[in-house]
Amino acid sequence: MSLFLLVRRNLFRHPVRSLLTCAAATVGIFLLIFLTSIVTSLNDAVKQVSTKRVVTQSAVSLFVNMPEAYRAKIAGVPGVESVMRLQWFGGVYREPSNFFAQFAVDPELFLEQFPECVLDAESRSRWLSDRRGCIVGELLADRFGWKVGDSIPLLGSIFPKNGGEAWDFTVRGIYRSTKSNLDESSMWFHFDYLKETLEAGLASGPDGVGVFYVRRDDDVTAPELCERIDALFAGGPQRTLTQPEAAFQAGFVSMFGSLPTFLGWIGAAVLFALFMTLANTMLISSSERIEELGVLKALGFRDGVCSMLLLGESLALSLSGSAVGVGLSLASVTTFRRLFGTTIPSYAIRTETLFLAAAVAVAVGVAGGLAPAVTASRLNAAEALRAEI
Amino acid sequence: MSAISAKNLTKAYQRGGETLQVLDGVDLEVAAGEFLALTGPSGSGKSTILNFLGGLDRPDEGSVIVGGTDITRLKGASLADWRSRSVGFIFQAFNLIPVLTALENVELPLLLQPLGRRERREHARHALDIVGLADRIDHRPRQLSGGQEQRCAIARAIVTDPDVILADEPTGDLDVKSGRQVLEILKRLSGEHGKTIVMVTHDPEAAAFADREFRLESGRLAETSHP
Repeated sequence: MSLFLLVRRNLFRHPVRSLLTCAAATVGIFLLIFLTSIVTSLNDAVKQVSTKRVVTQSAVSLFVNMPEAYRAKIAGVPGVESVMRLQWFGGVYREPSNFFAQFAVDPELFLEQFPECVLDAESRSRWLSDRRGCIVGELLADRFGWKVGDSIPLLGSIFPKNGGEAWDFTVRGIYRSTKSNLDESSMWFHFDYLKETLEAGLASGPDGVGVFYVRRDDDVTAPELCERIDALFAGGPQRTLTQPEAAFQAGFVSMFGSLPTFLGWIGAAVLFALFMTLANTMLISSSERIEELGVLKALGFRDGVCSMLLLGESLALSLSGSAVGVGLSLASVTTFRRLFGTTIPSYAIRTETLFLAAAVAVAVGVAGGLAPAVTASRLNAAEALRAEI
Repeated sequence: MSAISAKNLTKAYQRGGETLQVLDGVDLEVAAGEFLALTGPSGSGKSTILNFLGGLDRPDEGSVIVGGTDITRLKGASLADWRSRSVGFIFQAFNLIPVLTALENVELPLLLQPLGRRERREHARHALDIVGLADRIDHRPRQLSGGQEQRCAIARAIVTDPDVILADEPTGDLDVKSGRQVLEILKRLSGEHGKTIVMVTHDPEAAAFADREFRLESGRLAETSHP
């Protein structure tokens, strides 16, 4: 027999009520971890990009292409190691809900500039030698059950083929990624296939190149190189905006607008609802046991002990429900990666997020039990026992 | 020396804008080992006196000395500690903790004593044995009859071996037979174990078990003779 036993028994006094309160804590902490991890995963992707790469885009907008001739000019800038063309394709696989990212690139340069892309030698060779070949990330391949040799028909939306025909691609390799900036939910294919098809008049779409990925050598810093490239086109015909890849990716994150703030508000609202649920449960529970608290005081239990009993119950409800929430969050990482891999590269839960969840669980547990604990502390034993006068 | 010495106890309550003088200079002396009954009409202040004697409430004026300690001077934790050592309570509605077994209920006050788990269990079993509930130790309150619940409450009141036991209408919720059992136990605790007992009751038959009876009326206390 100990006071812990009393706390435990009181928790099971109304099992359904306790279970529902625990479930609220589970949902609250699960959502907190999920929403926080969305933001941290987006930020992690930005932080993990190579410091060796800078990205040149049109100064007008990311959606305005630059002349292809810029490639050669950029390549001539001192400090440039290589220049890769990259074009957002925007094709539709069977139906729009099957959305995933597709990029036209220079395959050799892509593999050289992105060492985080892990592709076996055989797949490399197959992809490089097949103009219609493409590589897809492991998550994307899993999502649609693709394997090497499968054909992928894509309907062009930015680059529609004549007569509504589909673009044909063949899976030549399935890659893995060692860094979260390169997700495993994208498809990469030959820029030349896109260019030649457009030039042959078999498809329509914007000319030029969406962005240039530039790898610098060690003799120049990223800001210096950005300055040099942009200075080259300062007089037109189209001005450029060159920035380190991290800044470029951060721009993508900012395209989500105030998403982090929005998610923060949702998280705060969920936690407030959890606090209200817990506080309500504890207030009902303690008000049902006023006489028992009076008895404890009559037996000689100090005011603080009576408070701690109620705080202990509140904490136990919050922590047990939250522990389930943490478990569910960890178990669902793979599922969320599959679901959101395209939008949120490499969704992951940071250790700091788990510590945050634990701190929140404790804070909500204490806050939820605070009002009844204070009431219990101030309770007059004689009044609690409904003393006759 | 008296086990309990209460002097000039005064208490007034505010009700609906009116002052209700419940106690008006009450004096009470109870000798060690004495079994005393407090009677009087409902609302006369009997339980209020009991609350003063147990340190659950404070008089507006007056002092209460129990076992040589002026408990009206004690506050907060020191008052709680004094209660845990010096006094046992028995309530009309038994007030056992429903989620604990009989043994656990009796063991509860011992958590405040410097005893190990095994010692606590032994003391609790012994107390239950004294009240004839040795075969009900694993029963929860709802599995006990009213009389058994009250006997369990008596075991809880005596398990810390306090000098003073305060009983508020201990037979009020019991049938005649169970009530008599409880009164006999209280009588035995006083007679054989030397406990000082103050019992509030409406029941003249219950009061007759006490050594002395005091009647409270209009805020004043007066000793009455047993029939």
